[in-house]
Amino acid sequence: MNKVILSILGHDRPGIVAAVSKILFEQNCNIENVSQTTLQFEFAGIFIVSIPGDLSPQSLHQSLNAQMAPMGLEVHVTSLKPSAVPVSVPECESYIITTKGPDRKGLVAGISEVIARFGGNITNLQAVFKGGDDPGDNIMIYEIDVPYQIDRQALYQELRRRAKQLKLEIDIQHRNIFEAIHRI
Amino acid sequence: MLTQREILSTLEMLKNENLDVRTVTLGVNLLDCASHDIEILKDQIHTRISHLARNLVRVCDQIGQKYGIPVVNKRIAVSPIAVVGASMSSSQMVDVARVLDAVAAEVDVDFIGGFTALVEKGIARGDRALIEALPHALANTERVCASVNVASTKAGINMDAILLMGKAIKKAADLTAKADGIACAKLCVFANIPQDIPFMAGAYLGIGEPDAVINVGVSGPGVVKNAIDRAFESDSNLDLGQISELIKKTAYKVTRVGELIGQEVANHLNIQFGVVDLSLAPTPNVGDSVGEIFQSLGLLSIGVPGTTAALALINDAVKKGGAFASSRVGGLSGAFIPVSEDLNISEAARSGHIGLEKLEAITAVCSVGLDMIALPGDTTEETIAAIMADEMAIGVINNKTTATRLIPVPGKKAGDNAYFGGLLGQSTIIPVNNGHNPNPFVRHGGLIPAPIRSLTN
Repeated sequence: MNKVILSILGHDRPGIVAAVSKILFEQNCNIENVSQTTLQFEFAGIFIVSIPGDLSPQSLHQSLNAQMAPMGLEVHVTSLKPSAVPVSVPECESYIITTKGPDRKGLVAGISEVIARFGGNITNLQAVFKGGDDPGDNIMIYEIDVPYQIDRQALYQELRRRAKQLKLEIDIQHRNIFEAIHRI
Repeated sequence: MLTQREILSTLEMLKNENLDVRTVTLGVNLLDCASHDIEILKDQIHTRISHLARNLVRVCDQIGQKYGIPVVNKRIAVSPIAVVGASMSSSQMVDVARVLDAVAAEVDVDFIGGFTALVEKGIARGDRALIEALPHALANTERVCASVNVASTKAGINMDAILLMGKAIKKAADLTAKADGIACAKLCVFANIPQDIPFMAGAYLGIGEPDAVINVGVSGPGVVKNAIDRAFESDSNLDLGQISELIKKTAYKVTRVGELIGQEVANHLNIQFGVVDLSLAPTPNVGDSVGEIFQSLGLLSIGVPGTTAALALINDAVKKGGAFASSRVGGLSGAFIPVSEDLNISEAARSGHIGLEKLEAITAVCSVGLDMIALPGDTTEETIAAIMADEMAIGVINNKTTATRLIPVPGKKAGDNAYFGGLLGQSTIIPVNNGHNPNPFVRHGGLIPAPIRSLTN
C-alpha cells in the first residue's frame, strides 16, 4: 500500500467531505487521517490516504478532479514518501504567544521570524484581523513548541522587542496555565 | 488545541481583573533550633531560615514569569516562637524578633510570621514572655507578624489571655503612635487558628507540620466581580442560585492558578507542597476589592441589609469551587473583610454603611473576623478585650476560625482618618459603643469553658 496526501481547497458548502470520501471508497482507498479548517467561508481539507498498489496518484487525482471541479473545488494529490532517516525531534515545551494591536502588514511575518530564528515550531496558529485600530480586533495566537535547550529569556526578550517594533501587546505563557484553568 | 476563548479569557483575568498569586509562603520548622542559650537559638534560627529560603524569591519570580502570573508576595511562616523560645525571657524574645526581621530582609521576603503563642487553655512561661514582648517586638521590627490563639472550640476562651492581649495592643499602639499604631496591624488574635495560613498576619507553621512546606494564597476578588457583572449584562434575570454557581466556577479557575504555581514552586525547591488557601483577599488597588462584589450583587454598599446573606452565598460558593480545584485546601479559605485594605470597604465605613456591629455579624458566615479595624485612641484596654471576647465566642460556638486585628489609633477619634500605607491601606476610625469606659465583665478573667458541642467523641 502506498500513501498519498490530498488537499482540497475551495468555497465551503455542504457535501464536500461526503463527495471526497465516496470517491476514495469507490477507488478502494483507506482514509488514515483528516483535518479541515474553514476561514472566511473558504474550505481547506487535508486527507492522508493509503491507496491500493494498482492505483496511481495521477489517476486518483483525475477521478477526484472530475467530481470536485464542477463543485468549484481544487484538488492536489502528492505521494507521501516515508523518510529514509528517522527525524529526531528534540524534547520541547509548549508555549502560547498572544498578540493584540492595530492591524498592519508584516505582523505574522514579524513574529514568526523570531520563533523560527530560535528554533521554535508553530503547532497551531489562529489569527483574526478585523482591521482598524481596536487592539481587540486584531489578535494572533501562536501555540509553539520550544526545545528545552533554547535560552528562554533570550526568546522572551526578542519577542517583546519585535512586538514593540510592531506596536503589539504581547503575552508569552506556558501552555499548562490555560489547561489548568479551563480543563479538569 | 486550546480555543481562543480559553486563551483570551485567561489573559483578561490576568491583565484587567487583578488575578494573581497573592502569596507563596514558605513554612520553616524551627522546633529543633530550641536552646537555653539565646545566642545559639538566634544563630540556629538565622542559619535555618536563610538556608531554606535562599531561593524562594528567585524561583517564585521564575515560575511567575513562565506562566505570566505574578507571585505578588513571598513570605515565611515559622514554628510558634513561644514554643521554640520557651525558656527565653521577654527581652530575649524581642531579640529573637529582631533576628527574624533581619533574616527576612536578607532573603527579601516582605513578611515573616510565627511570632506566635498558643494559649487557648492556659499561659505557659514561654507564652507569657512572648506576649509581654509583643509591643516592643512589633514596634522595633518591620517584617515580623505575630499571632496569639486565645480560644478554641475544644478548650474554651481564655479570658486572662484576652485581657493580656488588650493590654499588649494598647501598648503596641502607643509605641507606634506616630504611625497611627501600625504595630497593631501586624498582630492577630485568634480562635481556632489554622496551622497553615499563608496570609499575614496570622501565618505560622503549626506543630505537626513537616520541616518545610509551601503554602499558597491566591486571590481574585476582581475576577469574581467581573464574572458577576458580565453574567448580569448578558442576562439580568439570573437568580441567586445561578449566581452562586457562577461564583463557584470562577473560584475554581482562580484556585487552579494557585495549585499549579504552588506545586511547581514546591517541586523546584524540593519542598513539600502544603495547601492552597482559597480566600478572596482584597488590596487597596482599584478593581481588587471584595466590597465591590457586594455592589455587583445589587447591594448599595457592603453593610446594608442583605450583606450577611450575600456574604454567606459568596463564601460558600468560593469554598465549593476552590475545594474541587485543589489537591489540599487549608488556611482560612473564606472572604476577607479587612476594612483598611479594601478601598470600597473603607469607604463604606467612612460613609457609615458598615459599623463594628455589622462587621461582627458577618464574621459568623465568613472565616476571617474583625480585620484591620481602626478604633478611637481612647478605647480602653478592657473594651478591646471585650470586642475580642465577642469575636472569639462566635468562633468557638460555631466551630470556625475567627480573629481580630484591631488598631486603636492614639490621639485620634471616630471619624478621623488612619493611614497605614502600602498593602495595609487606610481607613476611617469607626466608633465603639461604650468604648472609653471600664468593663467589669472582662475583668473577671478566667476560662470560659468549652461549649458542649466540643464533646464529639
